[in-house]
Amino acid sequence: MELFVARLFDGLANGSTYALIALALVMIYKATTLINFAQGEMAMFGAFIVLVLATEQGVPMWIAVLIGMIISALIGAGIERTLIRPFDPADHLPLVIITLGLFLVFGSLAGIIWRFDPRQFPELFPSGSALSFGVATLTWYTVCVVATVLAVAGLLTVLLNTTKIGLAFRAVSSNLESSELSGIRVGPTLQFGWAIAAAVGTLAASIYVADPIRQLEPTVMARVLIFSAAAAALGGLDSLWGAIIGGIAIGMVQSIVVQYVPFIPNEMSLATAVLVLVLVLVFKPSGLFGTPAVERV
Amino acid sequence: MARFNFVEGTAQYRSYRWVTWGLFLLALLLVGFAYADTAQVTILDNRYNLGLPRINKAIAFAVAVLGLQVIVGYTGQLALGQSFFFGTGAYLAAWLVADQNWPWLATLAVVVPVCFVLGVIFGVPALRIKGLYLALVTLGLAAVFPAVVQLDVLDEYTGGASGKSIDSDLLPPSWLPINGINSVLQNIPLLGQYFGEGDLSSRELERIWKYLLFSILAAICLWMVSNLVRSRPGRAMRAIRDNETSAAVSGVNLSWSKTMSFGIASALGGVGGIIYVAELGIASPGDFTQVLAILFIVGLVVGGVGTLSGAVVGGLAITFIPEWASSTEQFPGVPDRWLQGPTGTFIMGVLLIVLTFFLPGGIVSGARRLKARVVRVLPAPPKGYQPGDPTGDDVGADVTVEDEPAAADTDLAAR
Amino acid sequence: MSDKLLEVKDLRGGYGPIQVLHGLDFHVDKGEVVVILGANGAGKTTTLRALSGMIETSGSIELEGEQILGAKKADIVRKGVAHVPQGRGTLPELSVEDNLLVGAYVRKDKEVQADMEKWFEVYPVLHERRHQRAGSLSGGEQQMLAVSRALMSRPELLLLDEPSLGLAPIIVADLFDRFSHINKDTGTTMLVVEQNAQLALSIADRGYVLESGQITVQGEASSLMHDDAIRKAYLGV
Repeated sequence: MELFVARLFDGLANGSTYALIALALVMIYKATTLINFAQGEMAMFGAFIVLVLATEQGVPMWIAVLIGMIISALIGAGIERTLIRPFDPADHLPLVIITLGLFLVFGSLAGIIWRFDPRQFPELFPSGSALSFGVATLTWYTVCVVATVLAVAGLLTVLLNTTKIGLAFRAVSSNLESSELSGIRVGPTLQFGWAIAAAVGTLAASIYVADPIRQLEPTVMARVLIFSAAAAALGGLDSLWGAIIGGIAIGMVQSIVVQYVPFIPNEMSLATAVLVLVLVLVFKPSGLFGTPAVERV
Repeated sequence: MARFNFVEGTAQYRSYRWVTWGLFLLALLLVGFAYADTAQVTILDNRYNLGLPRINKAIAFAVAVLGLQVIVGYTGQLALGQSFFFGTGAYLAAWLVADQNWPWLATLAVVVPVCFVLGVIFGVPALRIKGLYLALVTLGLAAVFPAVVQLDVLDEYTGGASGKSIDSDLLPPSWLPINGINSVLQNIPLLGQYFGEGDLSSRELERIWKYLLFSILAAICLWMVSNLVRSRPGRAMRAIRDNETSAAVSGVNLSWSKTMSFGIASALGGVGGIIYVAELGIASPGDFTQVLAILFIVGLVVGGVGTLSGAVVGGLAITFIPEWASSTEQFPGVPDRWLQGPTGTFIMGVLLIVLTFFLPGGIVSGARRLKARVVRVLPAPPKGYQPGDPTGDDVGADVTVEDEPAAADTDLAAR
Repeated sequence: MSDKLLEVKDLRGGYGPIQVLHGLDFHVDKGEVVVILGANGAGKTTTLRALSGMIETSGSIELEGEQILGAKKADIVRKGVAHVPQGRGTLPELSVEDNLLVGAYVRKDKEVQADMEKWFEVYPVLHERRHQRAGSLSGGEQQMLAVSRALMSRPELLLLDEPSLGLAPIIVADLFDRFSHINKDTGTTMLVVEQNAQLALSIADRGYVLESGQITVQGEASSLMHDDAIRKAYLGV
C-alpha cells in the first residue's frame, strides 16, 4: 500500500509538468486547431534563458523565471505574427511543417548556444519531505509543483473569463467568423494565445528541471512533449482543466504501470503514453472533457 | 513558348526522352566510378566528403522518403513515423544476415512483407485518427522505436544498446568487369584523371557494386511507385488526399486504400532500412529516433511533396546538409562556436520554414519552373485534328491553374 | 431626399478565380429596410460578405460618404456595420450572455450592461437562458440571440443574411415582425438578404433582385410584390 502511495506521489510530480505543457498545447489548439510540435523545445529554450539569467546574471531565481516567461511570451507572439499568421488556418500541412521546422530550430539552437553537457538547475522550491507514510514520502517539491499548476490553471481561468482579451480568445476559439464580424482582431488575439502558451511552457520546463534528480540539457523536453500530448488528448484538446486532469492522470499511470506491470521496463512508459494517445483518439476523439467536433461537408 | 517544344507521340519526343534518360544513366554510372575512393572537395579550408558511402546512405534515405511520398504526398495522411519502419527493416535485415547467414538480397523477401503488414496494422487505428492527431501519434511511434529495440527480451536479436553489427561483405560477382570498365574510363582523355589510377582495391570494388545494386533497387522502387500513382488505386489515393468525403462518395473504399497506402509506405521504409544497414554495417538504436522521422519529413518537403524525383532530392539533401554542415569548421563571418554544434539540424529547420514560405513545392517545383522555360511537352493532338481547327485556347477562360507539384509526377527526367 | 447611409457602385468580387458579383449598383438610405432577393447562387451572401470586407472586391462602397472598400473587417465593424451571417453564427461554447458581450466588443462606453438588459426584455427567452451554452438553444432562439448580438454594437447598418433559413414558419413570422419593430423603434438601417421574398418584402421599404451576380429588378417593396416577373419567379404565384 505504501509503495502504491509512493508511486502516486511520484506520478503527481511528473504529471504536473505534463499538465502544464498540455495546458500550453491546449491554449494554442483551442484558438487555432493547430498542435504546436515545437512546444517542448520552446519550453526548453526558455528554461535555458532562465538558467542564464539566474546563474550568469545573478538574478534571484523566481525573478529569473518571471523574466524568462516574459521573454518566451514575446518570442511566442513573434512566431505567431511572422510564421503562423500568413497561412490559411484551415490548411494544416504548411503549419505542421513550420512547427516541425521550429522544433529543429529551437532544439539545435539550444545545442549550439549552450552545448549538450547537462546543467544543474537551481532549486525553485524548498527541499525535503512534507509528509511521510513509511516509504511513501510527499516531498515539498511535489506539493509546490501541484500548487503551481493549480495556481496557473486558476489564473488562466480567471483571465479567460473576466477580461476582454479573454473573451476575445474564447470567442475566436468558438467561431472565428462571428468573432471577426464582431470586430475582434483575430491576429492579436492569437498572438495572446501563443504568448501565454510559450510563457506557461517555460514555467513548466523550469519546474521540471528544478527537480534535484534532473538536469537541463537540450533534449530534456522531447519525451515530455509526447506525454503532454497524450495528456492533452486525454483531457480533450480544447479543455484547459481537461489538460490538467489529463496530465496528472498520465503522470500517475506512467508511475504505476512502471512499478506494477513487470514486463514493461522504464523506457516503455513512453510507449504506454503513445498507446493511451491512440486509444483515446480512436475511441473517444474528444477526450474526457473536450467538445465533440462536428464535421461540415 | 519555351525554347524547345515537343509534342507527345512524335519521333522527336521519343528521341528527347531516350537522350535525357541515357545521359542521366551515364552520369549515374560515372559518379559511381569517380567517387569510389574517398572523394573530397575542399572549399574555404573545409573538406567536404562526396564518397560513395554517403551517396549510398542518401539512396537509403531517398527510398524512405519515397515511402513518405506515397502516404503523405499522394494519400494526404500526415504519417510521420517512417523511421519506425526504416529501423525495423534495418534490424530485421541485420539479424538475418548476421545470425542466419542470409544473402543480402534475400532479406527483401522478409522485410518487405513484414513491414507491409506492420504498416497495415498501424494503419487500422489511423483510419479513425485524422490530420494533426495522426501526426502526433505517428511521431510518438517513431519516438518509441529505440525503446522497443532495447527491450531485454529482444536483446539477442537486436544487440541491445550497442546495436547489431554485421560482418558480411557484398562482393561483386566475378562476371562483372568492374575493373575493366574502370580502366576504360581512366583512359578517357582529359576526364580520365577523375577515375583514379591503376586497379580498384577490393574495398572500392565492393563500394561500386553496392552503389550499383542500391541504385537499381531504388530505381525499381521509383518505377513501381510511378506506376502505382498512375493506376486506379493511385488515383483513389489522390482522391483521398484532395477530399476524403468526395472520394468516399465517389466509391473509393477509404479503409482499403488508406491501409494499403500505409502498407506500401512502410514497406518502402523497410527497404530503405536494408540499404542503410547494408551500407553502414551496424544497426544501433540511436540511429532510428523521432529526429530521424522529422528528418525524413524535411527530405519530403525539401524535395517536393507529392513528387517522385523529390524523394531523390530529399534523400540527398538530408544526407549531405548535416554532413557538410559538420564538416564546415570555418566559414568567413560565422563565429567558430556556431559551426561546432548541430548546425546541420539548424539549417534544415530554417530550410523547412523558408521553403514553406517561398517554395512550398520543394526544390522539384522550382526546378520544374525553370525547366518549363526551356522545354515544353505538348499533348498529342486528338485523332482527326487538322492544323487550323479551333483549339481550347481561344475559349477565353481567365482561370490560371497554379503549378501543382502534387499532380502525378511521371516525368522522372525532371531534375 | 433622405441621406444615403450606404452607396455601392459597380461592385465586383468573388472567391479567387470564381467571380460572383458582376457590377452591382445599389444604395440604402438611413432608417430604411432594404431587401436583396434572389435564388440560390445568385450572389446574395457574397454581396453581404463584400460589404463586411470578407472577400476581395473592386468598385466602390461608401458608408456615410466614407469609402470602405478594401478596409479591414475589424475596422468596418467599428464604423458601424453589424453582420448576422447565414446560419446565425452563434458562438456555441459561450454562454448567451457572453455571446452578447462579444457583440458589444467594439464598444467602450458604460451602457453595455443596460443594453443587454434591454434585449433580455425584448426576448425574454434569452434572459431565461442567459447562462446556458448558446449552442443548446433552438434555431429560433439562436436567431434572436444573433440579432441581439449584432445590435449590441449599436450599429448604423445591420446586415442580415437569410434570417429565415432553417426556421419553422411560425417562428420566422414572429422574427420578421420584431425586425420591423426594431427598425421603427431604434431607427437602425437594415439590409436583409432573403430567399423568402414575400416575407421580406412585407417589412421592407425597397428591394433589389439579384440574378447571377447582377441586379435585374429594383423598386419600392409594394410594387415588387405585385411585379409579375417576380411573383412568378419567387413568390410562386
